[in-house]
Amino acid sequence: MGQVCLEREEEAACVIMCASVKYNIRGPALIPRMKSKHRIYYITLFSIVLLGLIATGMFQFWPHSIESSSDWSVEKRSVRDVPVVRLPADSPIPERGDLSCRMHTCFDVYRCGFNPKNKIKVYIYSLKKYVDDFGVPVSNTISREYNELLTAISDSDYYTDDISRACLFVPSIDVLNQNTLRIKETAQALAQLSRWDRGTNHLLFNMLPGGPPDYNTALDVPRDRALLAGGGFSTWTYRQGYDVSIPVYSPLSAEVDLPEKGPGPRRYFLLSSQMAVHPEYREDLEALQARHGEAVLVLDKCTNLSEGVLSVRRRCHKHQVFDYPQVLQEATFCVVLRGARLGQAVLSDVLRAGCVPVVIADSYVLPFSEVLDWKRASVVVPEEKMSEVYSILQSVPQRQIEEMQRQARWFWEAYFQSIKAIALATLQIINDRIYPYAALSYEEWNDPPTVKRGSVSNPLFLPLIPPQSQGFTAIVLTYDRVESLFRVITEVSKVPSLSKLLVVWNNQNKNPPEDSLWPKIRVPLKVVRTAENKLSNRFFPYDEIETEAVLAIDDDIIMLTSDELQFGYEVWREFPDRLVGYPGRLHLWDHEMNKWKYESEWTNEVSMVLTGAAFYHKYFNYLYTYKMPGDIKNWVDAHMNCEDIAMNFLVANVTGKAVIKVTPRKKFKCPECTAIDGLSLDQTHMVERSECINKFASVFGTMPLKVVEHRADPVLYKDDFPEKLKSFPNIGSL
Amino acid sequence: MQSWRGKSLWLALSASWLLVLLRVFPLLRLAVPARPWASAPQGWPHWLDTELLPSFSQPGELPEDAPQPPQAPRGGGCDWGACFDASKCRTGGLKVFVHPVAGPISAAHRKILASIESSRYHTASPEEACLLLFLSLEVPAGECSPVPQQWNGGRNHLVLDLHPAPCPQTFQLGRAMVAKASPTADTFRPGFDVALPLLPEAHPLRGGAPGQLRQHSPHPGVPLLALAEERGRWRTAGTDPSACPWDGRCEQDRGPEQTHPGGTLPNATFCLIPSHRPDALHFLQALQAGCIPVLLSPRWELPFSEVIDWTKAAIVADERLPFQVLAALQEMPLTRVLALRQQTQFLWDAYFSSVEKVMHTTLEIIQDRIFGASAHASLLWNSPPGALLALPTFSTSPSDFPFYHLQRGSRPVGRFSALIWVGAPGQPPLKLIQAVAGSQNCAQILVLWSSEKPPPSRWPETPVPLTVMDGQRKVSDRFFPHRAISTDAILSLDGHSSVTTSEVDFAFLVWQSFPERMVGFLTWNHFWDEAQGGWGYTAERANEFSMVLTSAAFYHRYYHTLFTHSLPKALRTLADEAPTCVDILMNFLVAAVTKLPPIKVPYGKQHLEATPPLVPGGPEPQPTARDCINQMAAGFGYMPLVSSRLRLDPVLFKDPVSVLRKKYRSLEKP
Repeated sequence: MGQVCLEREEEAACVIMCASVKYNIRGPALIPRMKSKHRIYYITLFSIVLLGLIATGMFQFWPHSIESSSDWSVEKRSVRDVPVVRLPADSPIPERGDLSCRMHTCFDVYRCGFNPKNKIKVYIYSLKKYVDDFGVPVSNTISREYNELLTAISDSDYYTDDISRACLFVPSIDVLNQNTLRIKETAQALAQLSRWDRGTNHLLFNMLPGGPPDYNTALDVPRDRALLAGGGFSTWTYRQGYDVSIPVYSPLSAEVDLPEKGPGPRRYFLLSSQMAVHPEYREDLEALQARHGEAVLVLDKCTNLSEGVLSVRRRCHKHQVFDYPQVLQEATFCVVLRGARLGQAVLSDVLRAGCVPVVIADSYVLPFSEVLDWKRASVVVPEEKMSEVYSILQSVPQRQIEEMQRQARWFWEAYFQSIKAIALATLQIINDRIYPYAALSYEEWNDPPTVKRGSVSNPLFLPLIPPQSQGFTAIVLTYDRVESLFRVITEVSKVPSLSKLLVVWNNQNKNPPEDSLWPKIRVPLKVVRTAENKLSNRFFPYDEIETEAVLAIDDDIIMLTSDELQFGYEVWREFPDRLVGYPGRLHLWDHEMNKWKYESEWTNEVSMVLTGAAFYHKYFNYLYTYKMPGDIKNWVDAHMNCEDIAMNFLVANVTGKAVIKVTPRKKFKCPECTAIDGLSLDQTHMVERSECINKFASVFGTMPLKVVEHRADPVLYKDDFPEKLKSFPNIGSL
Repeated sequence: MQSWRGKSLWLALSASWLLVLLRVFPLLRLAVPARPWASAPQGWPHWLDTELLPSFSQPGELPEDAPQPPQAPRGGGCDWGACFDASKCRTGGLKVFVHPVAGPISAAHRKILASIESSRYHTASPEEACLLLFLSLEVPAGECSPVPQQWNGGRNHLVLDLHPAPCPQTFQLGRAMVAKASPTADTFRPGFDVALPLLPEAHPLRGGAPGQLRQHSPHPGVPLLALAEERGRWRTAGTDPSACPWDGRCEQDRGPEQTHPGGTLPNATFCLIPSHRPDALHFLQALQAGCIPVLLSPRWELPFSEVIDWTKAAIVADERLPFQVLAALQEMPLTRVLALRQQTQFLWDAYFSSVEKVMHTTLEIIQDRIFGASAHASLLWNSPPGALLALPTFSTSPSDFPFYHLQRGSRPVGRFSALIWVGAPGQPPLKLIQAVAGSQNCAQILVLWSSEKPPPSRWPETPVPLTVMDGQRKVSDRFFPHRAISTDAILSLDGHSSVTTSEVDFAFLVWQSFPERMVGFLTWNHFWDEAQGGWGYTAERANEFSMVLTSAAFYHRYYHTLFTHSLPKALRTLADEAPTCVDILMNFLVAAVTKLPPIKVPYGKQHLEATPPLVPGGPEPQPTARDCINQMAAGFGYMPLVSSRLRLDPVLFKDPVSVLRKKYRSLEKP
């Protein structure tokens, strides 16, 4: 696009230049002394063209400094200079909000059809000043908060300036506070928006709805089908799944610096900090205070403050003066009582102070209740139970209180602390409704970062023992040890539950043996050739793997008996989410070197199993190939080592569980590899393996391996029992 | 002269050229529309006078506003706070009374009544009840069920309405809540009504068929989509992105498909349920089959949506965006598919597979509303074993349960409490106390004295506190959640059990890795007895086992709460009558919760020789005991026991290495 424009522009410039030059050539003064003049003429012409080109280039590639200076007048304007729109008295008014509206009836999802990456696109109408026939403004042009809100949307990924591709429209008409606007005229202003269309896909933000005397719980401005993000909805006016309930922003969030205070017992058990509480409720609160003494503190407006002190920032009890909102940090529970409106800004202050809100406002729809689990951060008490509030709160155990305090603070940080947070959470909720398959999960909305970090969600969480009949697929990674490979194939094929054998031929320079040379076995045998000799090929999720259980086995593991392998498979069935292997290994913390160390000695503990022969769920192949964190996969392929340690890390990290070592087997002994058992080789091997552990632990950012002291044996292993009656008599030695 | 004139002319010309160029360029730029880099920074302007803008609320208006007298709840609508009087439930607990049903009732209704009566919340007296249940019957069109007695304006009533098309002019509901099968989202009152699943006539009373999923990940050969058709049938559908499989208009390019005969469950990864087939039976079928339901209509309220997070098990999509939905299904990451599939099975099993589960879930939801802050956390509803098996009366903190340590990143706390039950012979188990007290991990010893003989006044000195409790003479008393138990882990022992310190240590260590399971030393195995046509069990040593004896076993103390408060009373009475039954019952309970076998750890041969008859009546169980396992299976509605073929031993167990290397060397003594 940019290219095309650029070319077109230059062309245009050239045409104009050439035209003028032609005119000049015909000019009478230039006709004599053509010869010498000609040279100068061409030089000049050339230099002019060159200059023109340079100038063009400057305009093209010097965008910002030139741009901002030329656009300065457009971008940096005053709110007072925005265009004025006159609304005739008889211009149409939208219908009142339709209470039966739901996403599938009133929302036009087709407009969201273009949006890639499951993200809605939001358009903001430009700012206008609306006046009536007499030139009297309809409302304040825009408030500081609404400007902040629109800036936040404009700066986000949701924003588009292309009205034809937008899915959601946000008018720039500020309706945050109903008291600052004229209802009928504001409605008329909405109706004349260019894409209004009965308000379809339009989103209005309102924090202070209703007005005296009856204080409606939703914005009174007729708005037809427009969605309303409102603070203070009641269940009667809230259209479940259509409107969004938002917090009432507390300006103190930005004005006051209030450092976080950890959870724990605080000086006051219950605190009421609101100033304008209905006398009836104040009586109830004061009765509570009288009954429970020091534990309850009921604050009120200060009557005798000296001049110049902000009354908003002070609260009084009798003659004692308290700083607000700091005093909230002194209380475990804080009352959030409804006033004339259900939504109260004090909720935001209370959450911020890590005080558990006690919401006493019948039928109030709590902010973002569609996604936030308020049970974890608040206590809701019916208004008529106000006198029992103390005993209700007393029944909450201390541990739960601390959890709620943490949760309250986290809700404030994530969704209350700024206008931006409120705006983005609102858009995210609408986005989640339109693309439910890409929606944020309950945990993503509700779990504080500390919980998210510590928790593990096992991808195979369903307790399930897969049927034995499914069997397993053996995957043999081989390079060129054909003779040994054939022996492995013959041995493994004796295992009753084997259902398929897959040979991964990792040698690109040599073809695998002819079909006729392979051992004849009772199950299908497939050979897969790889493009590169990489260790990670053993963990590739080949399409040929049809069973869930995979046995990874090296081409030199010939001493495992059929009973051992079959038993390994049976153990895997009981632990399908774990690595089930034979020789176990351990990681240890080396206090001298201050790093991890790999251990293969006789130990009573085990934290890894070797994948020279191990059963695991095939899903881990997918994880290893596509979801391995950092550069571990490349590191393994480059070092040609530690693929098994990487797999142990991966599985332990994702499941949070330990490996299962089966049978006493400690080493994979084989005639061909005895040479490697040499002492010096062994030592470098150990150093390398230790290095792998340290490398992986740093990539994972933690040590996911779990240490256990048990291994799995057949029920009657080494029991005094007739061998022939045992299911797995032939469990090998070490 | 001329050259000078020429030169100056040239100079002037070129200067004017430059000027023209500079002037023309901005104009040109305006003439060329929509330059990308010009459009990017456009957006909401940064006003010069941002700082001067007024705040949306005047000081004084916030944080407070004018006080307003308390409003009475308005007529017309109802919500929990306004229409339900929870005070009665708070004092006496949730008690449910069912209005007697007049006239003939169907089998389905009978099952519902039976399941409510079996609930621990049921009461026979309407005065005691804080929730009154009214079963709305199927009546000829146009007529309506009569208003029952004690209707009281519907206050604290729950009307069970199981028919998709309700009586058109239902009697004045008043303040009653409605529990209705697949209600539409328009009439549903969230937080007040309860959305039920539409149950088929033949839905079993209890137990119920297990989920169909036999493996975690979809088999590679399984088709991606199945489409719901009439009368509960399914059709596998192609995934050609140009075709919209649920839309009649593009029926001709269906691709390779086949229709499954009625009654079978779909075998696909995703099950599309179009909105023009509001046959909610499809939903349960898909759930049971482990086929991820894709609801192409947001019009219904999904069952139990108040507590179940359906985004973890189903996909609610908008059929108006067919291509996006199909693309999203095809490109869904394997990790998500796996999680959704498994969740369908968990939910089916926990809340939907039987009428009893559905009704108990309904009552549990109401109980949660009454509990308020101490209700089930969302985690308890939405992860195994489910809220019916995780009682909030036990604890409000998920970490106290044995099931959620992974999700919470926590570990079972503390050491263990040894709970020694002393039965009939009334011998103080001195040797046993010494062996257990020798363990580093033992926090306390509790002796539950249930013998007729009075307990001795003197007990041996132990390094840990020893408490003697006077037990009732009932066997089930040993599984009572005694307040004295202070640790998560319980080592349950009989007076005549015999264990060594080292065995106890190792078993406790193993239990810490599997806190939700029972870890025991001695095992039984159950089997299907063809000859008798029933279940049997044996104490003979075998290659597999499915129960561990509670005369020596570790388990989480939560199972005491569950045993006492959630098991049907009939089963506990049964266990009291035949002492071996209590072991079976406990094993049934734990297996029903975990769906996994218990764990066996090594047990020295010397014990077996020392105390031969661990099983009363010898290795062949008595006929009453055989009866017991069958009665338990009938009580649960299915056989929950699962067999295991392995034993967990210490890593170096009986390995031919120096005994000095071994931590649990005394386990290997002959």
